[in-house]
Amino acid sequence: MTAMIEARSLVRTFGSTRAVDDLDLQVESGEIFGLLGPNGAGKTTTIRILATLLAPSGGTARVCGFDVMTHPQEIRRRIGYVMQKISPTRNLLTGRQCIEMEASLYHVPRREVRARAEELLGLVGLLPHADRLFSQYSGGMQKRLDLACGLLHRPQLLILDEPSLGLDVQSRHKVWDYIHDLRRQGVTILLATNYLDEADRLCDRLTIIDRGRVVVTGTPSDLKRAVGADVIQVTTAEPAPLAAAIAGQPWLQRHAVSEAGELHAHVTDAAAALPALMGIAAASSIPLETVTYTRPTLDDVFLLHTGRELREEEVTA
Amino acid sequence: MTEQAIARETPATRGSTTAAISDWAQEVTALAKRWFIELGRERLNLVFSVAQPAIWLIFFGSGIGRAVDRQVIGTSDYTGFTLPGIVAFTVVGGGVAAAMPLMWDKEGGYLDKLMSMPISRSSIIVSRFVYQFVLASFQVAALVVVALLAGVSFELGPLAVVIILATAGLLSLAVTASFSALAYWVPGHGTFFAITGFITLPLVFMSNAFVPVEALPRWMEIVARLNPLTYAIEAMRLPIIKGWDGDILVALGVLGAFSLACLAVGASQFNRQTADRVQ
Ligand SMILES: Nc1ncnc2c1ncn2[C@@H]1O[C@H](COP(=O)(O)OP(=O)(O)O)[C@@H](O)[C@H]1O
Ligand SMILES: [Mg+2]
Repeated sequence: MTAMIEARSLVRTFGSTRAVDDLDLQVESGEIFGLLGPNGAGKTTTIRILATLLAPSGGTARVCGFDVMTHPQEIRRRIGYVMQKISPTRNLLTGRQCIEMEASLYHVPRREVRARAEELLGLVGLLPHADRLFSQYSGGMQKRLDLACGLLHRPQLLILDEPSLGLDVQSRHKVWDYIHDLRRQGVTILLATNYLDEADRLCDRLTIIDRGRVVVTGTPSDLKRAVGADVIQVTTAEPAPLAAAIAGQPWLQRHAVSEAGELHAHVTDAAAALPALMGIAAASSIPLETVTYTRPTLDDVFLLHTGRELREEEVTA
Repeated sequence: MTEQAIARETPATRGSTTAAISDWAQEVTALAKRWFIELGRERLNLVFSVAQPAIWLIFFGSGIGRAVDRQVIGTSDYTGFTLPGIVAFTVVGGGVAAAMPLMWDKEGGYLDKLMSMPISRSSIIVSRFVYQFVLASFQVAALVVVALLAGVSFELGPLAVVIILATAGLLSLAVTASFSALAYWVPGHGTFFAITGFITLPLVFMSNAFVPVEALPRWMEIVARLNPLTYAIEAMRLPIIKGWDGDILVALGVLGAFSLACLAVGASQFNRQTADRVQ
C-alpha cells in the first residue's frame, strides 16, 4: 500500500493559538480514515492544510504523493473536498446548475459535463430534484449535492469535513452508505467527525486528536480493546452453577457474581462469547432471565488517553 | 453506484499552452454563466442598473448643463461633454457591485471550495469582469440612445460609440480587479463598504468627469492627472466633442496598462487573501 496522505510534525498557529500542534498523520490508499476529536480540536485546520487552502506554519504534508506547498495544483486535480459549512451563496442556482458549474471548473470535457452531472446527481438521489433551487433544498439534500460535487473529477482521495453534521438520522445513514460504496470503488476517504458512532461505524482506522495533537491512532476495535474487556451481565436464578459451567472457557477472562446475584463475565469479545455462553447455559439446563453486555466505546478510549470525556466537550464547546 | 463512476481518471498531462488556455476559458465561462443565471433571476436589478445612468445623463445634461460656462468646457453641448463622466461614474459603481459576490462567497465559505479546485487564480475575477462588461454595454447603449434623443452629435460617428465601449471595458477591468482585490483583502464586508463608499465619489470628482482638467484648481488638477479615470474620460470625450485625435490612443494606452496592473494585483490578492494561503 502507498500512503495517500503523509503529514509530519504539522503545525499551524493562529496568533497564539496552536490549532494544529506537531501532528503526524499517515493515510493509506483505499482506507476510510477518521479524524475524531471535540470541537476546536484542529480537525478542520488539518483538513484545510491537506486541501491546499492553508499553509502550515511548520512541518510537511504530502497528499497523493505531492507536497502541499510546492505542488498544490497537482493535489487539487486529485482530491475532492466537501466542506463542513454549506455555503448559501448558491441559493439562486438550481442543483443541476451548481453541479454543472463545478464540473466545468474541474475541467470535465465540455461534451461530458451534462452527463457527468446527471450521473452524480443520480448517485446521491437528487436527480428528481435537479431543477429545484439550491435554496429550496433541505440541509440533507444540500450536503448530498456537495458530496456529489466532490466526486465530479473522480478523485483518488475524498476529504469530508463533518459529512453528517446537522443531518437527520435518515440522511446520515444515506451519507454513510455512499461513503462505504466509494471505498468499495477504491476511493480513499479522510473524514473529520466529532460523532463517536460515525467514527466507529465508518472508519477503518482513525486518529483521535485533541488540542491539535494526536491522542492515539488505530482501528476502532483495537482502540476499544486496549481500553479493556467487554462485560456480559446475566441474571438467572442459578448464577453459581452457570459460573461453574463457564469456568475455564478460552473466551472468558474472569468472572464474578455480584451482590444482586448477577453473573458478570469479562470477555475478550462479547459478540463471540455470547452464543457460547448461551449454549453452555442451555446444555446445562440453566434458565436465563436477561443477558446484556456493554462494550467500551470510543468515548472510553478518549477518556483513557486524555482523562476527559469527548461527549462533554461536545456539549460545552 | 456504477463501477465506472469512480474509475480512476488520471489527470491529463497538462503543460501545453493550448490546454491551459482552453481550461481557463472553460473556467471563466462556467463562472460567468453563474453570474448571468443569477442576474436572470433578478431581472429588476437589470432594469434599474440600465435605467439609472440614463437618468443621470438627463439630470446632468439638461439640469446642471444650464449653469455651466460654455467657455470653460469648450463646447456648447454639456450633455455630450458629460456623457463620458457618467459612463465612468457608472463603471466605477459597477466595479463595487462586481466585487460583492466574491465577498459573499468568501464570507459564506464557498470561496474555499473554489480555491480547492484546480482553477487559475484569475478566472474568478475575469468572470466578474465579463459579466460587468456585458452589463456596462447595455448601460452605454441606453446612454447613447438618450444622448442622441437629447441632440448630442458624436463627432466621430459610430466609431465614437465603439471607442466608448472599449474604454468602458478597460476601465471596467481595472475597477473590477481593484475592488475584487479589496474584497479579498478586507476582514469583513463592513470595511469593504466603508472603503468603497469613501473612495468612489472623490475618485469621480477628482477627475475631468464634469469639468475640464485645465479648469480645476491647481491641486485638484494634479490629482486629476494622476487619476486613471481622467484618461478613460479623455479617451471617450474626444471622439464625441472633437473627432479623431492621437491623444485618444495615448489615453487608451495609459488606461490599458493600468487595467493590467490592477488585474495582476487582484489575482495576487486572491492568492494571499488571508496573507498565509497556499499560492
Ligand atoms: N482562521 C482562524 N483564525 C483564528 N483561529 C482559528 C482559525 N481557524 C481555526 N482557529 C482556531 O483553531 C482551533 C481549531 O479549530 P478547528 O480546526 O476549526 O477545529 P475543529 O474542526 O476540530 O472543530 C480553534 O481553537 C479555532 O478557534
Ligand atoms: Mg471543524
